[in-house]
Amino acid sequence: MKWIILILILGISVLHHDVWWWTSKERVFGFIPIGLAWHAFISIAASMIWVIAVFTCWPDELDKRFDQLDATAAESGSEEE
Amino acid sequence: MVLGIIIGYFCFLLGLGIFGSRLLKLTSGDYFLASRGIGPFMLLMSIFGTTMTAFALVGSTGETFKQGIGIYGQMASWSGIVHSAVFFLIGAKVWAIGKEHGYLTQLSYLRDRYQSNSLPLVLFPILVGFVTVYILMGVMGGGAFLEALLGKDAAGAPKMPKWLGMLLISSVVMFYVFWGGMRATVWANTIQTLVFMGTGVIAFYVITKGAGGVDSFLEAARTATDKVADSEASDRMTRAGIGKGEFATYFLIPLSVGMFPHLFQHWLTAKRASNFKLTVVAHPICILITWLPCCLIGMWAAGVLPAETPSNAVLAIMVKKFSSSEVLRGILGAGVLAAIMSSMDSQFLCISSMFTNDIVIPHCGEGKYSEKQQVWMGRVFVVVVVAACYVIGLFNNRSVFKIGVWCFSGFSSLVPIVVAALYWKRSNGQGVIASAISVAVLWLAGLAFVFSGTLTKQVFGGKFLIAGMHPVTGLITVATVVLITVTLLTPPPDKALVEKFFGAHDSESE
Repeated sequence: MKWIILILILGISVLHHDVWWWTSKERVFGFIPIGLAWHAFISIAASMIWVIAVFTCWPDELDKRFDQLDATAAESGSEEE
Repeated sequence: MVLGIIIGYFCFLLGLGIFGSRLLKLTSGDYFLASRGIGPFMLLMSIFGTTMTAFALVGSTGETFKQGIGIYGQMASWSGIVHSAVFFLIGAKVWAIGKEHGYLTQLSYLRDRYQSNSLPLVLFPILVGFVTVYILMGVMGGGAFLEALLGKDAAGAPKMPKWLGMLLISSVVMFYVFWGGMRATVWANTIQTLVFMGTGVIAFYVITKGAGGVDSFLEAARTATDKVADSEASDRMTRAGIGKGEFATYFLIPLSVGMFPHLFQHWLTAKRASNFKLTVVAHPICILITWLPCCLIGMWAAGVLPAETPSNAVLAIMVKKFSSSEVLRGILGAGVLAAIMSSMDSQFLCISSMFTNDIVIPHCGEGKYSEKQQVWMGRVFVVVVVAACYVIGLFNNRSVFKIGVWCFSGFSSLVPIVVAALYWKRSNGQGVIASAISVAVLWLAGLAFVFSGTLTKQVFGGKFLIAGMHPVTGLITVATVVLITVTLLTPPPDKALVEKFFGAHDSESE
């Protein structure tokens, strides 16, 4: 899954360089220049990619290690009592 | 009325500092890191509020006014991709290492990671220098915004001159940071981020209707864009003024968040690593909500304001020109100041903690000063830095955007250091020190071009670009090459040190 996320990130980075709308004055909704609207879409797409990334590639071990340490500390505390 | 609302908002922040101080335990862990107990929503708000500054509101509006809508692609949409990647790959990992070893600052981690007392001495002045420019951007942006928003009195003098606005903003932020520490800073950041995002949406609605001059919002927006399209500034609807190489290499600028010492400290405040998930996902959307309206306002301004309007004053002039209600103008003004101050507070707290934890304690001895004395020493250091920013700001009128981009370029060029610390077991202190020095020398050389438009024109014939690319490309390349070369030419780190940060199994598998 890490590779798919990497490909998605590289893909969106390539699409970011939208030379095809560089000097276009076309508008979206009648008021947003198309070059600006495209980059607003890039922001939304980036957020979607990060949703997939945190659900599939998040390093859960970072929290697990501290949860185990906390549990051990709590156990030794209750034994001492 | 406008001034009254802004003063009222300042008083609210001062109250927050006093309230924070009542809960403060005056231990350095609580003062600097809010006892590492911050949840997902407050982490998002404090991180986002910290990264959005005068640069994001005053700078983006002014630069769109001057250069066109390409600014969004150069900074905002790249940031949505790169910032979240940095939070994912660097932020969460730094949090875990910080929690395990009890670090309070970025420098304390790097000193321990490389077992080098010289490293903080080299990096501290470089980081403080970059943060000083960052603070300068906020102080200047805030002062210029207040002066333009409040306008002039009957005698033609500014109601709030720039020097007074700068003084007021710096003093308010110093007060609530000094008295409330990180807890007050996180609260203030959360509230201020909500304030500036909320007022930003209101400002956008009001300015759109005013600029369009009709009742329907969509019609008003279309009319405002028509005015730009029919004007001499119609190229602001495109990227005609921006080179393709320049546009592409701007992706290196948002890497800077990986080395912001104040953001590093915010990462350490998280209660759990999973609290970063919301920040990673929502950050690009928060950027969109903040930047898109500012860029549209800047573009519309090009259709109605004279071309010689100072870029730092464009947003304030648009607010003033198109919001008829004084109450609304005051609220919108407070919103912009909220964005500016929500970054300055973290920067003040950060340089104060670096000074005490990384310079005073290691070099004067652990038990020499009480925790209370350490906190006070940090406060005095902040006053000195802010005073320097204030004096520089008084005599400088350069675009907040240009200053900001160069400041971020410096931080970006230091990112190879933190990447090596986290992911390259072979990296050593010598390589890191050499890389940091190379960045400092090149960055200082480039600073002259940032502060002198005439010099830039003489040497580069226009924009400060090298082979059509932003100079940050050269800075990062040199920093990386120096880091790798010097590391490989000097002895590797001890096995015990590698095991401490990468684990015994990982260290053997290298």
